[in-house]
Amino acid sequence: MADLRINLAGIKSPNPFWLASAPPTNSGYQVQRAFEAGWGGAVWKTLGDPILNVTSRFAAISFNGQRVAGFNNIELITDRPLDVNLKEIYETKKKYPNHAIVASLMVEPKQEKWHEIVKRVEDVGVDGLELNFGCPHGMAERGMGSASGQVPELVEKQTYWVKEAAKTPVIVKLTPNITDITATAEAAAKGGADAISMINTINSLMGVDLDTWNTIPHVAGKGAHGGYCGPAVKPIALNMVAECARHPNVNIPISGIGGVSNWQDAVEFMLMGATGVQVCTAAMHHGFRIVEDMIEGLNNYLDSKGISAVTDIIGKSLPKYSDWGDLDLNYNIVARINTDVCINCNKCHIACEDTSHQCIEMLTDISGKSYLKVREEDCVGCNLCSIVCPVDGAIDMIETPRELPPMTWNERQSVINAATQCKADITK
Amino acid sequence: MSEYQQFLSERDKIDFYIQKGYRIHQVKEHLNGATVEFIHPKGNVSETLLIGNANARKYFSSLLMKQKQAGK
Repeated sequence: MADLRINLAGIKSPNPFWLASAPPTNSGYQVQRAFEAGWGGAVWKTLGDPILNVTSRFAAISFNGQRVAGFNNIELITDRPLDVNLKEIYETKKKYPNHAIVASLMVEPKQEKWHEIVKRVEDVGVDGLELNFGCPHGMAERGMGSASGQVPELVEKQTYWVKEAAKTPVIVKLTPNITDITATAEAAAKGGADAISMINTINSLMGVDLDTWNTIPHVAGKGAHGGYCGPAVKPIALNMVAECARHPNVNIPISGIGGVSNWQDAVEFMLMGATGVQVCTAAMHHGFRIVEDMIEGLNNYLDSKGISAVTDIIGKSLPKYSDWGDLDLNYNIVARINTDVCINCNKCHIACEDTSHQCIEMLTDISGKSYLKVREEDCVGCNLCSIVCPVDGAIDMIETPRELPPMTWNERQSVINAATQCKADITK
Repeated sequence: MSEYQQFLSERDKIDFYIQKGYRIHQVKEHLNGATVEFIHPKGNVSETLLIGNANARKYFSSLLMKQKQAGK
């Protein structure tokens, strides 16, 4: 049994699976049930001046039979009085002292507002604070959430104010609704944040009803943009985590959020630099007990790799993540179709012929049986055929023997620029 | 002509000069690919090739890198 405990900037939990600040962590009843199910930590639904919500609040995209491939909400922060939440946090922490309880906070960007809420929340024994600079709807229109989180100076300033008052570790939760998330991550670090978490939800409109022409969701015939999350956003979140993890000026622990649905997703986030993960949509879709499979799967994975502690995998894939200019231009792969597995559906041929490099030929053997064959010399190794192929194992992408030494774009431009400027060494 | 045939054609032209002792002297990149200027060390004779194929542009770039490394 591997050691699944993590320590995120001083916040300890029995495993890396936390519930994110969201509807699943709205109350003590829910968080206590989550801890009973096995969650290692919970970030309490954002505390601040209690708001008023609308109905309806959620919408989801189903794609080709997968329910909740993407999820959207227009719910705001807590609508319950602060004292009620604080009482439940106190009771929950008392009952589950070894689990992490982090309070998500959002107030107006004023020093005294932050000082007040930090003091009141820390008095009930939270393990840490998470500053919600990411919520993209409703609160942003009031100058909070992502409206704050999109301005690096405001992120730095507010983090600094919180750190003036805080005794527990401070996590800054970042919005993905920004061109370069490392700018706000760096600002958080400059402000003194102990950790960052990402991503909050992405601005979204889930759809339009073709009969009524109402937006989805709508409130009495009117809609507003919401926050998008769930499995569909995982690649966006994973990139943002990795970009922050490898940024030299960020250099603080990361809590990974965004479409984490199973233990495999968690491992990917941790390999890319996250110390732990936060989950919301998967829990809303399947219930708290999904954490059982997450814990078991993670443990089995670590055992199979001979890794004794989950913390040993943090950031292990980061050296493999770089900029495009550092990729080897002379590395080549080609598609190879396994005719004994191929069902001749021709999807690869159509995809290649219509939208890629026209290198999959439809041939007929001497018995009159049709088959598909890749003209390897024209294959650019784009992967499209293997992506659209409906049969596992029918198409392999094969490395071809190296004909030229490794050469990156950056290396190439360096020698070409030198040749252009100095006219090389030929004249010497 | 397929992309591969175009590559072979342009690579052969590059190899022709390299095998005759020419060295890559200058590369000008533009919208149609790259114009590569070769110079023979003896006699200062120069030749140019327009290389449009992507793999051929990788090819002469690799030769240029090799040439630079050998010149160190």
